[in-house]
Amino acid sequence: MSPRATPIWDLWPAGLRWQPMSRQLRTVWVLRSLLNLFILAVLASVPLTIWLGWEGPLWALGGYVVIAGLRAFTVVRVVASWGYAEREEDFLVRHGLLTRRLNIVPYGRIQLIDLSAGPIERMFGLTTVKVRTAALGSTVEVPGLDPHVAAALRDRLAVRAAEVREGL
Amino acid sequence: MSGDRPEDAAPEDGTHATPPQWEEPATVAEGAFEGPGENGAAAADHVQFQQEAPPTGTVRQRLHPLTPLLESFRFFIAAAAAAGINVFTTGNFLFAVYISVFAAVAGGIASLIAIQYRGFVIWGRELHIYAGVFTRSHRTVPLDRLQSVDLVRPIRARLFGLAQLNIEVAGGDGTDARLAYLKVDRALALRAELLAIAGRPVAPEAPAADEALPEGAEPAATGAALDEVVPTVTARRLAFASLLEALPVQVTALAVIGSAFAISGAIFGFGNVVTTVWVGFFAPALLGYLQSTISTVNKFLRNCRFRLSRDGGNLLVERGLTDTSHGTVPVDRVTAVSFDEPVLWRSRGWRRVQVWTAAVAQQGGSGTSESTMLLPVGGAELVARVAVEAVPELDVASTLDPEAVARPPRRARWRMPLRWKRTGAALQERAFVVRGGLLVNTYTAVPYARIQAVDVVQGRVQRMQGLATVRAMTAGNLWHDAVAAHRDVREAVAMAAELRERADAAAALERPRLS
Repeated sequence: MSPRATPIWDLWPAGLRWQPMSRQLRTVWVLRSLLNLFILAVLASVPLTIWLGWEGPLWALGGYVVIAGLRAFTVVRVVASWGYAEREEDFLVRHGLLTRRLNIVPYGRIQLIDLSAGPIERMFGLTTVKVRTAALGSTVEVPGLDPHVAAALRDRLAVRAAEVREGL
Repeated sequence: MSGDRPEDAAPEDGTHATPPQWEEPATVAEGAFEGPGENGAAAADHVQFQQEAPPTGTVRQRLHPLTPLLESFRFFIAAAAAAGINVFTTGNFLFAVYISVFAAVAGGIASLIAIQYRGFVIWGRELHIYAGVFTRSHRTVPLDRLQSVDLVRPIRARLFGLAQLNIEVAGGDGTDARLAYLKVDRALALRAELLAIAGRPVAPEAPAADEALPEGAEPAATGAALDEVVPTVTARRLAFASLLEALPVQVTALAVIGSAFAISGAIFGFGNVVTTVWVGFFAPALLGYLQSTISTVNKFLRNCRFRLSRDGGNLLVERGLTDTSHGTVPVDRVTAVSFDEPVLWRSRGWRRVQVWTAAVAQQGGSGTSESTMLLPVGGAELVARVAVEAVPELDVASTLDPEAVARPPRRARWRMPLRWKRTGAALQERAFVVRGGLLVNTYTAVPYARIQAVDVVQGRVQRMQGLATVRAMTAGNLWHDAVAAHRDVREAVAMAAELRERADAAAALERPRLS
């Protein structure tokens, strides 16, 4: 692996154990992308049918299978790129395949910790943890955790935040 | 003005059942106020269970009777314009008279009704503001969390000697509370009172007292009572500076539009059709150009007669030509300071100084945070003085030293060929300094203790080049985080690590500032 291909998060906090997201997250996101693509394929099949006759839906289906396969592959890798880690003084979240992001939130600046779970997330037993600071643009999201992991994470963060409170 | 205020009856917790005001139903009738949305008798029953709201009978203080008229001045201008156009085009005076009479009567009746439902009460440590005829609103402002009270005087209010109070609260929900309109002296008294309740009294000589004076009288005496940081910036200098700032944009815009017109005309001829199409295409561009021109003029009017003085822990900003405004900047809430240098100011060594505070940003709502101007234009010495007032720990000389602020690596140059020379970032002793911008070159300094969170982002192309962008976020600012663009990857992660370390160290040194 050339040094340029090394993700930024492997350069700095050395010797860190990144916690992965829940396994279910992969399923949910793959299913979601497949569903979105399916809707697109149905929409695309209408003009294709008008244009090509009965072959239209077949083309749409074929295109769907190919694109969905590629998409699923990407989504799996995207999910694998998500990770979070707790250090002594701050909370780190990394994600991104093409654009790589590393968010660093000090415990002392945490203002709010949200747990949320939508209906589909609940079906698969996932919970999203959102951490906010006073900075408007800095909501850090950990998208898919097992509920008990998420609750434990929230409790740990809250305790640490209360210990080192730094204000604005 | 505190004669009719229920301050002495500030309720202890849990004793809302019998606040003394409740025994004054006569005053209720006299004040012509009933509870918003409920009549007095019904309210009497459940008022005892309301923990927060003052009882229905509490005498509300009223706003100035002209308030509704002033607030709907656009309606009257529209009516006047309609009447005027009508007279001008048809010469039919009668219709104009009808319009005027209708507008006057309708406006008068509407405002008579509206004023009945507007008012405010200071109840304990809360300010309650009531408004609305059809949709009643009742807004509670916790004075404990008061950030600042600004006195603003739009031109239409100044004509009648009125003023408006803008009230900022920490952690506000995006919309600021305002009290409009009040007589100037009453507004000043109320401002002092609110600040006193919030536990941050202003200097006994109310700094804004000179506002009550007529225009011409220069209040030298009041200014001397406070520490004057920036003496009044003369209108001539500001006008010249604004002109210099706007010139490059104006010239570019006019050149682009003019040459586009000339070229398209030369190719297709200046025929009717082409001109029409052209206007259709470029009218939006022209509109944008006009808008920017107008905003330049507005900015000039806003910052005219600018004066900055210090009052304890606050900086007092007085400015405005047509609409005067009085603002306070709590120095301990400044999160970042930026120094702008438009391209044509460079040879003169002029700069503009702005600060960002958590309070102002929160007031702005959905990310349109606004800065507070601390110096519209000034030379190096003045800039240094203002910056030190706002951020005492800042070393201005090294902050504004272009040599001290390192540029991104040379391989990033093609990404910003013109800006590259004027871009940079530096970890200085007390602050993180970034620099950027072509037409307006800006240095932004964020004291380490104010840094909230740090991001490192690496885009697709950046990855191939081995670059990354570091972003240090401060409270409230969405668009004005300190961004160090296109640093070398290793430098970027080292910078992020260093930022985090220094932020913790700096924050540990000072006591927490909550609220």
